[in-house]
Amino acid sequence: MKKNRAMINAFLAPAVLAYLVVFLYPTLRTIVMSFFKVESVTDSVSKWKFFGLGNFKTIFSSELFITSLKNIGNIWLIGGISVMVLALLFAVILTSGIKFKSFYRSAIYLPNVVSAVAMGTMWINYIYNTDFGLLNRILAFFGQGNKKVLWLGPDRIFWSMLVAYCFGMVGYHMLIFMAGIERIPQDYYEAATIEGANIWDRFIKITLPLLKGVTRSNIVIWTVTTVGFFVWGQIFSPVNLSAGTAAPMNYMYELVFGSSSSVTVRDSGAGAAIGVLMTLIVVTVFFATTFIVRNDDSEM
Amino acid sequence: MKKRASILLIFIMALSVVFTSCGSTNSNSTNSNSSESSSETTTTPAKNIKLVYWTMWNETEPQGQVIAEAVEAYSKQTGIEVELNFNGRDIRKNLQPALDAGTQIDIFDEDIDRVNSTWGNYLLDLEELSTKSYPSTNGKPFTEVVNKALIDIARQVGPNGRLSSIPYQPFAFVVMYNKDIFDQAGITSIPKTWEELLEACEKIKSIGKIPWTVDDAYMAALVGYHLARTIGMEETLKIANDNSWDHPGVLELAKDWEEMYQKGYISPNAAANVWPAGQQEIAQESVAMYLNGTWLPNEIKSSVKPDFRWGTFAYPSVSSDGDPITYNNIGGQCFAINKNTQYPQEAFDLIVTLTTGKYDTKLAQESLGVPMGLDSDWPEQLTEAKTVFENTTNRYIWAVGMENSADVNAKIKKNFALLISGKLDAQGFAEAMKN
Repeated sequence: MKKNRAMINAFLAPAVLAYLVVFLYPTLRTIVMSFFKVESVTDSVSKWKFFGLGNFKTIFSSELFITSLKNIGNIWLIGGISVMVLALLFAVILTSGIKFKSFYRSAIYLPNVVSAVAMGTMWINYIYNTDFGLLNRILAFFGQGNKKVLWLGPDRIFWSMLVAYCFGMVGYHMLIFMAGIERIPQDYYEAATIEGANIWDRFIKITLPLLKGVTRSNIVIWTVTTVGFFVWGQIFSPVNLSAGTAAPMNYMYELVFGSSSSVTVRDSGAGAAIGVLMTLIVVTVFFATTFIVRNDDSEM
Repeated sequence: MKKRASILLIFIMALSVVFTSCGSTNSNSTNSNSSESSSETTTTPAKNIKLVYWTMWNETEPQGQVIAEAVEAYSKQTGIEVELNFNGRDIRKNLQPALDAGTQIDIFDEDIDRVNSTWGNYLLDLEELSTKSYPSTNGKPFTEVVNKALIDIARQVGPNGRLSSIPYQPFAFVVMYNKDIFDQAGITSIPKTWEELLEACEKIKSIGKIPWTVDDAYMAALVGYHLARTIGMEETLKIANDNSWDHPGVLELAKDWEEMYQKGYISPNAAANVWPAGQQEIAQESVAMYLNGTWLPNEIKSSVKPDFRWGTFAYPSVSSDGDPITYNNIGGQCFAINKNTQYPQEAFDLIVTLTTGKYDTKLAQESLGVPMGLDSDWPEQLTEAKTVFENTTNRYIWAVGMENSADVNAKIKKNFALLISGKLDAQGFAEAMKN
């Protein structure tokens, strides 16, 4: 087929234009904004005052922001390990030839399809509710009803939120692992079985090494979604920020648009600084995983 | 031939992209309420004037419905077209960008502090317009027929101390209580001091009900109020602004609330109440009292029994060093006019329609809210609130400043919840707040 330059450019033009206007321009503007003192996001450039690294100093001197960084650190590490281990376990089980594989796969993936707002509300009102919630009812059934556990109390709310969040995320990562496992040729397993390898050996020596690329993808995707953690923080703390549920995005949202319960000072410059910081985190993790989990030995 | 067909296809695609992006910028209003009437009932001839009004209410809320009715009546009477835009609470994010972009917005409404401080630069000065008389004011200046306290507050918070907004839907932040439980417990008079409150709590507990509750959204306000009643408004504001909690009053507050926890006067669920769980405890009648706004009866209208009896009283005084019960957080929503409007008088006429006479009463009745007009009736649920309004001499800002900083608010929420669930004692709370 003859390559027609004009046609290619004409078809690419709308997409490139959309990318430049909707993604690149706001990104560049945000980076520039992070070095200025800006009150409202839509203030004209004439109202901006140069502030150097002042915005970064502001956000790092906020105790709540530091707590929010710790929160996503915990979500990334502890949540990440839990989700990946569970996702891998389910993926291995579902690709080992059990019956009703499609049903289990759909059932585990279902939470991903349901809106996060609906899921979060369900967890708060149906499962964690102090008086009527599922967990406290189970405890009461086993005779522990006197001591009602405050699942949404200040010391437990972060972990409650993390469990609810991870519950919904397992399905998505399980599918990615399944796709990776299904790409491994069965010959390897057959050869290993003939040589006398048991299930554990097959898993450690064949499955895991050949899943390196998929694992790296999963880690990067998990990092991106963790950095963008927002909806669950809003649901578990609907009116204003709490130390146990705030993620940097929640903090940024309140900083840029003001609190919904009282009239607070807005600081879009500091919000932009948070945005820049989050981008740096994602880029750093991306490069780190590229070096640590090398993709060189999966020649599929 | 093939080349021509593909060029035509590209052209159509490009056009469709252009049209879809054009189309989305025009239709912003979800409900255009326009009625260009003929000159049958008009007192002034139809002038082809169009007002654009952005409101914070949703179409389905009672306030939204009454406003829509009032706007339609106004349009019919004056022949002026009014485009009514139900933004919902998103107006907090949408309004300023729209104003900056030069969109025609003549009237908008929101919380009185937000309108005057966040959007102060966009407001028209209303001092002159408000001293005129209008058909519904019986010959008196407008400012003399509406709630004076609110007008004074609006002037106080207005840019340069000028009246630049007209309040409506006033609220007071008070203790809302269940009258039935009070009667059952044998409480005959409203508690005015902390000791009286503790006595009332004991009586309520003896009939098997829980005296008090709170949820995460209002913990900072509770702490702010109690602190102001203990050490006074000035000191409390200082603590809120500097985030320095060394004051001995903090320990006193902690001891008071530790006592509330130990005596079982506060709901055991309170520390884990994610809003609106606290209100629901009131609605279910398991708890008697809750520090909240006078909007509460309206907010949980659908959760309470039909003959729920509401009462209100000002937060009791705690110490002689602190504020008396005449200091309260009073506020409201307010209407404001864009300083660049072409029709200031017409816009103000609409505001008068909404804050006096028939529609003011209707707004108060339908939304179980406080009316603006001095002649309008108060809903039954808020009769006791009238006393609080009339007796308030000094105004607290929202939560006495405790929600002005997200850091302070989050710190209070965490430590206060630990205090009222017994995980921190009074000393521990005071120490934790100092960090």
